[in-house]
Amino acid sequence: MKTMSDSIAVKLSASVSSVIALVCLTWWLSYNPTARLATHIPGMDNRPTESEASKLRAAEADQVRIGEFLETYASTQPPALRGEWPRFRGSKFNNISTEPVRLASTWSEQGPKQLWSVALGEGHAAPAVADGRVYVLDYDEQNKGDALRCFSLADGSELWRRWYRVRVKRNHGYSRTIPAVADGYVVTIGPRCHVMCVDVESAELKWGIDLEKELGTETPLWYTGQCPLIDDSIAVIASGGNALLLGVELATGTIAWQTPNPKGYQMSHSSVMPATLFGKRMYIYCAKGGIVGVSAEEVDRGELLWESPLWNPSVMAPSPVILPDGRIFVTGGYGAGSALLQVTEKNGGYAVDELMKYKPDGGMASEQQTPIFYQNHFFAILPKDAGVLRKQLVCYASDDITTPVWTSGTTNRFGLGPYLIADGKMFVLDDDGVLTMLEVSTTAFKPLAQAKVMDGTDAWGPMALAGGRLLLRDAHKMICLDISAPSS
Amino acid sequence: MNDKQNKVKRRDFFRDSLRTLLALALGGSAGIATRKLIAKDLVWQLDPHKCVQCDLCATECVLDLSAVKCVHAHDMCGHCTLCGGFHRPDAVTFDTAAENQLCPTGAIKRNFIENPYYSYTIVEEKCIGCAKCVKGCSSFGNGSLYMQVRHDRCLNCNECAIAIACPAEAFQRVPSSQPYILKGKQAQA
Repeated sequence: MKTMSDSIAVKLSASVSSVIALVCLTWWLSYNPTARLATHIPGMDNRPTESEASKLRAAEADQVRIGEFLETYASTQPPALRGEWPRFRGSKFNNISTEPVRLASTWSEQGPKQLWSVALGEGHAAPAVADGRVYVLDYDEQNKGDALRCFSLADGSELWRRWYRVRVKRNHGYSRTIPAVADGYVVTIGPRCHVMCVDVESAELKWGIDLEKELGTETPLWYTGQCPLIDDSIAVIASGGNALLLGVELATGTIAWQTPNPKGYQMSHSSVMPATLFGKRMYIYCAKGGIVGVSAEEVDRGELLWESPLWNPSVMAPSPVILPDGRIFVTGGYGAGSALLQVTEKNGGYAVDELMKYKPDGGMASEQQTPIFYQNHFFAILPKDAGVLRKQLVCYASDDITTPVWTSGTTNRFGLGPYLIADGKMFVLDDDGVLTMLEVSTTAFKPLAQAKVMDGTDAWGPMALAGGRLLLRDAHKMICLDISAPSS
Repeated sequence: MNDKQNKVKRRDFFRDSLRTLLALALGGSAGIATRKLIAKDLVWQLDPHKCVQCDLCATECVLDLSAVKCVHAHDMCGHCTLCGGFHRPDAVTFDTAAENQLCPTGAIKRNFIENPYYSYTIVEEKCIGCAKCVKGCSSFGNGSLYMQVRHDRCLNCNECAIAIACPAEAFQRVPSSQPYILKGKQAQA
C-alpha cells in the first residue's frame, strides 16, 4: 500500500524529469551546430565591383591611341634573306618548317653560333619573320607602351618601332603574342586587346581596334595570348564579347563580318586555327565557353558551323590540333587535361562527339605550347601535373594518345618551353635556355646535341626558324642562332 | 742503499695519484662543459625542395592538429587573380566562394591589392598541413607556397612520426639556431 510520502516522491520526480526534458528539448531546438562555421562567399577579397572596374577600364581605354608613335632607326632596307616564319606556328600552322635548308646534325660544345641578340621587355612575345625582317610586339617598360619592333634578320639591328602608350602591369611578364605578316601588312594584338595593322616596310599605321572598348571583349587573365590570323587579306580575330569571331579587311580596317555570340563566349589564350574538314574551310577556335567551327568560305564566311561545350576549361593556352579525319585534339593546363573530339558531317550540318577525355596524367597533354602533329604522331612536353612523366618530351601515336610510344626519360625533363620540327630534327628549348636537338623519330627518343644558349629564365615564347636562323627568347632577351649545316 | 733511496714513498704515490685524478676530473669537466657550450640542439624540419605534397604531414603528426603548416614566400608570389594554390582547378569563377577554393579549411585569405593583383596569406590556426595548396602552387604557379614544421607547435619527438612516413625523405634535423629551410629572399638572407 502506497504511503503519502511515496506519492509525493513520484510526483516530484516526474516534475523534475519533465523540467529536465523541457530544458534539454529547448537546448536541442536552439542549438545551431553550424554556428562556428565561417562562410566563404564571393566578394570576401575586397575586390572592386564590376561597375567600378569597368569605369576604370573605360578611363584607361580613352587614353590609348593605337599606333600613335613611330620611331625609325635605319634609312636602308635590310638584306632580303631567304626563309620566313610569318605567324604563330609558321607558314603551315603546324610548327614544322618545310624550307629546303639543311641543318647541322652536331654542335660544338658551345652550341650553335649566336649571330645577334637584342634586349626585350619582360614577357613571352615571340617573333614572326618575312623578307629579312623580324617583327616582335614588345612591351616597352620605360615608355609604358606596346611597341611593334622591326629588326633586320641579318644582324638584329632595329629598323623601326611603331608604338602606343597603354598601361600594363607586370603579371608573369607583359607581352605574349606573335604578329601575323601577309600581303604587305603586319597585324598585332597587344596585352590589353589592342589590334594594330601597319605596313611591313614603311611601318605606316593602317588601322587599330580596341577590342575591349569597341567589342566588349574581356581581357583574359595574364593578358592576351591569342595570336592574330591573316587569311585571304582578312585579319581574323576571336574577340569574344559582342562577336565570337570577326574579320577585318587589312587594307581598310573595315569589319567585313562578325560571328554572333549569343552565348557570351569569351577570349581564351588559344589562337584561331584554319582547317578544311569534309571539304569545307573553317576557322576552329577554343573559346572560354566552348569550341567552335566558323566558316572560312567566301560564300558564308563568319557563319557559325558548329559549336560544342565539350571542351571548356577555365584557362586554355594551347590551340586545337586538327587531324585530317575530323578529329580534334584539345588540351589545357591548370589540371584541365585533354580531350579528343570528333566532328562529323550530318544531314547538311555538323555534330561534335567526345571520343575521350582525361586528366593530365592520363595521356597526351600540354600546358602552354601547342603539340606538334607529325607523321601521324603527336609530340609534346607533358605538364607539371602529369605524374611520373611530368615535364618529359613524349611521342604518342594518333590512334592511342594514352600510351606513349616513347618518353625522354627522367633525366631529360623540359618545362613550358617551345619546340619545333625542321629538316627531320626537333628543337626543344627548356625554361632555362638549354636547347636540345633530337632526331625526329616515331620509335625512340634520339637526342643529337644539347647546349645552353641563354642564361635567362622563363624561356616560353615560341621559336621561329627562317633560312637556317633560329630565333628564340627568354623573359628578357631574343637571340638568333645559325643552325644551318656548314655547307649550306 | 740506492734501492732504498729510489723507492717511492707511499705518501708521495697517493699524493701524485690524487693530483692526477683531480687534473683529469677538472679537464673532463671542462671538456664536457665546452662541448655543451658549442654543441647545437637539433630540431626537425622538412626540405621544401624535396617535398612531394603527399598530404601525410596532415595525418602522421602525433599532434591532433599537425605541427607542419603551409608558409608563403610573398616575394616569390605572382599575386595572380587565378591562383593555383587558392583556386580549385575546375573553378568556374576566380573568387572567394567556398566551392572555388582548394583549401579544405579556408585557411588562405585572399585580398585585392590593385588590378590584377591579389595577396594570399596563410591563416595558420586553420591550416591542417594537407599541402593541397602547395601542390597547386608548385604545379601552376611560382612555388611560393611551401610546407614547414612550425616550432611553436612541434614537440621535437626523438622519432618524428612524419619523418618515418615521408616518402620523399624530406625531413631532416637542423640546428635550432636555424630551424627553418626557407624559400625566396628570406632563404638568401
